[in-house]
Amino acid sequence: MAKWGMVIDLDKCTGCQACTTACAMENSRLPGENWQDVLFYSEGRFPNVSIKWFPRPCMHCEHPSCVSACPTRATYKEAEGGFVLIDWNKCIGCKACMVACPYGVRFYTDERPVVAPDIRGVFPGKDGRSWSPPYRGPQDDPSHGVGIQPNGVVSKCTFCYHKVSKAPKGVADLDEHDPATKEFTPACVRMCPPKARYFGDLDNPASTVNKLIADKRGTRLLDHTGNKPQVYYLSGGAAAAVPSSRETNKA
Amino acid sequence: MGIAESIFKTRLTRRRFLQATAATGAAGAVGSGALRTLQPAHAQAQPATGETKITKSICHQCPARCGIDVYTTDGRVHAIYGSSEHPISNGKLCPKGPLGAYILYDPDRFKGPMKRTNPKKGRNEDPKFVPISWDEALNTVADRLNALREKGESHRFALAFGRGWGASCAGLLGTFGALYGSPNVPIGHSSMCSDGSILSKQCTDGNASYSAYDYHNTNYLLIFGASFLEAFRPYNNNMQVWGYIRGEKSPKTRVTAVDVHMNTTLAASDRALLIKPGTDGALALAIAHVILTEGLWERSFVGDFKDGVNRFKAGQTVDPATFDEKWVKGLVEWWNVELKDRTPAWAAGVTTLFERDIVATAREFGTTRPAIALFERGAHAHSNGIFNGMAIHTLNALVGSLYAKGGLMYQMGPAYGPLPVKDADFMDDYAKNGPWKKQPRIDLKGSEDGYLLAKNMLQELGPNSLAGKPYKLDTILFYLTNPTWTAPNGQVWEQAMAELFVIDTSPFPGESAMFADLILPDHTYLERLQDAPTYPFQGWPLAQLRVPAVKPLYDTKYFGDTLIEIGKRIKGPTGEYYKALGNTENVIRALAKGFEANPGDNGVKDFESWKEKGVWYRKPYLWQQRDGAFYEWDGKGYGKAMTPEEVKAKLLKTPSGKFEIRSGYLEQHADWIAAKTGRDKAKLMFPQWEEPKHPGGGDLYMSTPKVALHAEGRGANLPVAISLLQPVMGGRDTVYIEIHPETARKRGIADGDRVRVKSAVGSIEGYCRYFEGTRPDTIVFPMEHGHWAMGRWAKNRPPGHCGEVTVNQSDRVTGQCSYYTTKVSVEKA
Repeated sequence: MAKWGMVIDLDKCTGCQACTTACAMENSRLPGENWQDVLFYSEGRFPNVSIKWFPRPCMHCEHPSCVSACPTRATYKEAEGGFVLIDWNKCIGCKACMVACPYGVRFYTDERPVVAPDIRGVFPGKDGRSWSPPYRGPQDDPSHGVGIQPNGVVSKCTFCYHKVSKAPKGVADLDEHDPATKEFTPACVRMCPPKARYFGDLDNPASTVNKLIADKRGTRLLDHTGNKPQVYYLSGGAAAAVPSSRETNKA
Repeated sequence: MGIAESIFKTRLTRRRFLQATAATGAAGAVGSGALRTLQPAHAQAQPATGETKITKSICHQCPARCGIDVYTTDGRVHAIYGSSEHPISNGKLCPKGPLGAYILYDPDRFKGPMKRTNPKKGRNEDPKFVPISWDEALNTVADRLNALREKGESHRFALAFGRGWGASCAGLLGTFGALYGSPNVPIGHSSMCSDGSILSKQCTDGNASYSAYDYHNTNYLLIFGASFLEAFRPYNNNMQVWGYIRGEKSPKTRVTAVDVHMNTTLAASDRALLIKPGTDGALALAIAHVILTEGLWERSFVGDFKDGVNRFKAGQTVDPATFDEKWVKGLVEWWNVELKDRTPAWAAGVTTLFERDIVATAREFGTTRPAIALFERGAHAHSNGIFNGMAIHTLNALVGSLYAKGGLMYQMGPAYGPLPVKDADFMDDYAKNGPWKKQPRIDLKGSEDGYLLAKNMLQELGPNSLAGKPYKLDTILFYLTNPTWTAPNGQVWEQAMAELFVIDTSPFPGESAMFADLILPDHTYLERLQDAPTYPFQGWPLAQLRVPAVKPLYDTKYFGDTLIEIGKRIKGPTGEYYKALGNTENVIRALAKGFEANPGDNGVKDFESWKEKGVWYRKPYLWQQRDGAFYEWDGKGYGKAMTPEEVKAKLLKTPSGKFEIRSGYLEQHADWIAAKTGRDKAKLMFPQWEEPKHPGGGDLYMSTPKVALHAEGRGANLPVAISLLQPVMGGRDTVYIEIHPETARKRGIADGDRVRVKSAVGSIEGYCRYFEGTRPDTIVFPMEHGHWAMGRWAKNRPPGHCGEVTVNQSDRVTGQCSYYTTKVSVEKA
């Protein structure tokens, strides 16, 4: 059984947000409902100023606090692959998981639209879904939180479950440059122009992700929470960085 | 998991929870339709869909032309990824790439040809468009053009274009102008883009072009403006390169980036220099000064003192006879008339940078080979732009980077076949000798009264026509440009367009369309068959093909075919030419014939294989400069030595066949330049420091960069792009005007306040955000919002449009529209 993990090399990340738009496209996200967000910070005083940015998907934790908090077992840890997913048939929209998640990567469907006018009014939902744009993806799997959600539920990054779960068994890495694995690679990883993202099996010692975590000192965000993310960050001090408590000006 | 299991043994279901909340009325609804009862059956998986088709096409949201794989299922486009086999995209896309489907399905698109029924024109006038047939639309245009030609006034028809793509659209325009008879067909937008760069290269190395770059092999990047990691083309590939040169390459490429505010490029570099606007040339001069005084120049390319002893000492002249110049011309003269006094201490005073940072940058740049100095709009969008551009480009010569591995070069064109019909066979007497031949261009490009050396002056078209100088236009047609909004001080264009018969071909309801009498909407890019040779990339030739992923959703027509259809309706041989040409597919098939003799590296050899793969390319680049000698590709390597004559014909295309620090091109026009600029005739051909002229009357510089999600006008109405647009501050639907906190406080402006930005030509409003990364003498906000048309999401979105406060001022030599040079005042609104 694979345990899928993502590595984000912050030395290479250019803060372009292609991961965000790729995710929005692949997963039919509402404008601003960024399952995969990039957060910007700045610090210092002119002319000695720095900007930092931090790309942030769901961490697909080994010990996910959201799962513990869910009263209906709608949010769950998939044994095969280690995805943290939401079953929209069980979710009651109570948002307990959103409070429990230390990473702020969950979204409630029926918030006010980030951009007005509400695009859901332009492309109204069909079959009980919250909206239905002509460019929606063909994948539809509500029990895994894949596709366009119904109203009244929480949604989040699935690690592109609809792609990754179909990957050939036993592969060490899902690499967008390998024709055999390209179509199974998560959208944000596949699109990332500076190739700052890698995706592979954390349980496979031959995987590139494991080598990178070891060689380039992979760290996990808010490790002290004990959530044990399956997303690792590599940082040699580039502008893209895990935010520290020093940052004063949040963009 | 265990906790949940033990507490909620009853397994509260979604349905039961909804029943409970409905009973207590505790819905707690947020926004629309929260906690609406959902029939569980509705949330079951939808039935399996049809087969997914992948079409190889190219993107349209910046000039880069990235290959895209368009995923279509059941006739709907739902995903776009970079083509793995495309040399620019390599499977990747920038953040704009995935937005393509939103453009295709933009609900505010024009859905077919229309005519205006409200004769009044203005921002607040509804054009009251009504649908018409294509025949009526095309006949209306042709009747106007035929009538003008019969009156001998065909010059009063202008065709302005912006993002032209290839031979099947923009490439057809020149022929139309020559056959129909108008000097104003076409007028390109290059002066509102980056002609300052093109002219700077022309004046120094003789190539009127943007450069191609070998970033993969460079060890030093010195970037002036350009927004390398936000907007510089090809943005997608720039980021791929960045990941490699900064994350994998050994040794890691060092980067110094220069701009007027902190952006992602500066933040990701090794050194950020926050320079005073318009002074990039002073920095470049000081870097050159250090390179010479410290003896860091590349002797194999530049040459050396005859005895090898460096005589470049600050403030002291040098006898030119003591120096043997190799591939440069005028180095010692330049030193004597300008550079000897351009010390880092002097530049520190002009640029406000620290002297130590200037010296350190110069030493790094001068000692790290290969190195590239690159610049684009910003550095040269000022009245002194030509000098800034020449000074920066001369740094490349000093370190020997021209045509070197890891340096920069120029782009080769594709092996296109000739068009199937010869336009020369269809020239009637009017085309050859009609009265239009004596008319200047409306924008006074190429005219002594206007811009003698410019390539285009689109920004002058509106004001000139309004003033009737040199004459008033009658009819104007727009292709992929919206100068009514994008021109500096576009308010003047609104008056000008109100007088003219306006035809817009955009599929989107932009500002120029709001003044249109006819709408002849183009397909959006995922519906088009359109060729596009590459923008300067890595030198070797590359030509893409945009292939329709879906049938056109609406009654639209590819612009190239609209033009051909208009042409068929022009009386006389012009009409015959277009009837013989047929349509754009014929044109593209003819272009592809050229690939038979020059098959691409990917096997593309005809129209069908081009359409299947979406790209033709042929490596390698044919020339290389190595240790001061030029070589041509001999089939195996760069082994064939070139003569100086060959170098002059193919690579350094200046009068002297050398890199001209003393510009022969400027020298040829010295009288005109001196008369129009007041410059010293004896010195104006050298890169030099000249104080820029900042119009506008305010006390703060204004910079309005393009940001990563700026999709050349198409992004303004895309909610996903709007939600993310983030210059530095902002994102989540809000774009701020960045102001240094002290600057704001002095004016009584609090963080987040609504502010008014004013100049001599207008005023706009927006929200302020304190930002320490913006210079205290400068405000920054992106060129994107402030549309008064363009669709439901674009309209009236703050901050207002920078063009409305930008004074129309251009570099007299290059014609570059100086977008970043107006000074404004800011007050609490």
